[in-house]
Amino acid sequence: MEDIKNTLRAFIIDKFEIGDDPDFADDVHLFNEGFVDSFGAVEIIHFVEEHYGIKITQRDITLYPMNTVDEISEVVYEKIS
Amino acid sequence: MDLFMNSAVCLLERAAEKFCNKTAFEDMDSKLSFTELRARSRALASGILSRVKTGREYPIIIHLPKSVDSIVAFMGVLYTGSPYAPVEYTIAPVRMETITANLKPSMIITDAEGKESLSKLALDTEIAVLEELTGGSDDAAVNDALYKVCDLDGAYIMHTSGSTGVPKGVTISNRGVIDYASWIKAAFDINENDIIGLNSPFHFDNSIFDVYTTLYTGAKTLIIPEKLFMYPDKLMEYVAEKEVSVIFWVPTVMISVANSGALDAVELPKLKNILFAGEVMPCKQLNIWRKKLPDSAYTNLYGPTETNVCTYYKVDREFSDSDSLPIGKACENMRVLILNEDNKRCGIGEPGELCISTSGRSLEYWNAPDISSRVFVQNPLNTKYHDKIYRTGDLVYEAEDGNIMFMGRRDNQIKLRGNRIELGDLENAAAQLDGVLSACALFDKVRQEIVLFVETDKEIAPRKYRMSLWDFVPGYMVPARVVTMAKFPHTASGKIDRVGLRKAYIEGDS
Repeated sequence: MEDIKNTLRAFIIDKFEIGDDPDFADDVHLFNEGFVDSFGAVEIIHFVEEHYGIKITQRDITLYPMNTVDEISEVVYEKIS
Repeated sequence: MDLFMNSAVCLLERAAEKFCNKTAFEDMDSKLSFTELRARSRALASGILSRVKTGREYPIIIHLPKSVDSIVAFMGVLYTGSPYAPVEYTIAPVRMETITANLKPSMIITDAEGKESLSKLALDTEIAVLEELTGGSDDAAVNDALYKVCDLDGAYIMHTSGSTGVPKGVTISNRGVIDYASWIKAAFDINENDIIGLNSPFHFDNSIFDVYTTLYTGAKTLIIPEKLFMYPDKLMEYVAEKEVSVIFWVPTVMISVANSGALDAVELPKLKNILFAGEVMPCKQLNIWRKKLPDSAYTNLYGPTETNVCTYYKVDREFSDSDSLPIGKACENMRVLILNEDNKRCGIGEPGELCISTSGRSLEYWNAPDISSRVFVQNPLNTKYHDKIYRTGDLVYEAEDGNIMFMGRRDNQIKLRGNRIELGDLENAAAQLDGVLSACALFDKVRQEIVLFVETDKEIAPRKYRMSLWDFVPGYMVPARVVTMAKFPHTASGKIDRVGLRKAYIEGDS
């Protein structure tokens, strides 16, 4: 689980040029807090799908909140374990 | 005995008789049949009637998440004879206060969470929770209220952004709604076996199509979870699984689905009717859809909130990627005029302003006679009797084949995901933020996003400006990018050098 979070966090920080913003954290709402725009959401999902060889379905999207590093990692963790 | 159609809610009365226990509306958590919708709406109407003044002069604001509950609220209000005014659930506090001050509603209907947040604002009206309003049904009181409705009374009020920063409450009559629904039934092959996949939020008038098509034809409206629109491939997976057969989406969504390759990953044999409106649909992306789904019917609809759909074009031939799609011809029972600067009718190919004449769709802007009188005017071509037209501000011309072609705006208004935006409004809002010395908003046509430039002497992360703006403007106006700088470039005349900013930060970047 920690591995997933580390990988995902590193991807997001790099991809969306977050740098060392002190407000950024694993439980922060990526979209509401303005770290990632709506187009970035797709990139995050594509990244975890390719990196972990999993498929996030429309059901996953509608059933689970996937707005924070914690929440997205949770879904990925369920899929690979 | 036939039902008399004096109110838009008579469409529900009729549908409940005809389609009974068939599902009318469905969201992620629940579904409602026509009979259930009628019963719940009448119960709500009874609750409203027992508490506040109702009727055409007493609108009721609906502040609810996008769900079947919203439909209950709309219908419940219509039964009382009041117009309903849907606002976004995430509405900015200032916008909510401005709209409420102008409408002076009898009440605001919301949910428990909404009541908590709205209670902090200066609203000066009753805030009621939907469930708490719904008790037993007093059918005699509801029937009496419904009897008093005249079809020229307002059915709903939708708010657009106004160039002065004050939202304009576009008021549409019951006649307009009924007329629109009957036009849809006549123009498109939609029946009770269809499933409509709803895209638009309820505070955006595109959703009127879905709601009233369901009530008129018996088709089911499926409220697509908002989140899915962020993920085009998952969205289409959902559309396929749910066997959606009709969509009426904004081009922004159609474009992102086409560009993402999402159409290649799914089979959509049920999707027969594809309609779009709200902004320009580029042929390049339309061709991607047509290649994947060659047997579906495609229709380009055009119409401002003030009149709802007034022209349409059923795609009937091939277009190259660089062609412009016509907006077509006037809908049945609508009259379209193209007027030049001298208020004379334009000839074929001559650009002019699109003006619309219609029996009952628009009742102008709520409580704003001055702004209304500028755009709702006497038809200059008719000197014989009172005949109001709506001046859209859109520039068009009529092509040789009689189809109307859209050219652009007469003013600085832009369209983003179907929403009308005055960039000046955004600049005014941004100028109020802490640390902002000056603000300039530009539209990036290629990326279809707003870029806000901020002149500031403070070290504040650009995303913080975006977040602060949520308190002042609707979500669709919040810029995608914020660029901060210590000093704006200026032109020789001392104005902000917008061309320079565009060159350096928008064109140079793409």
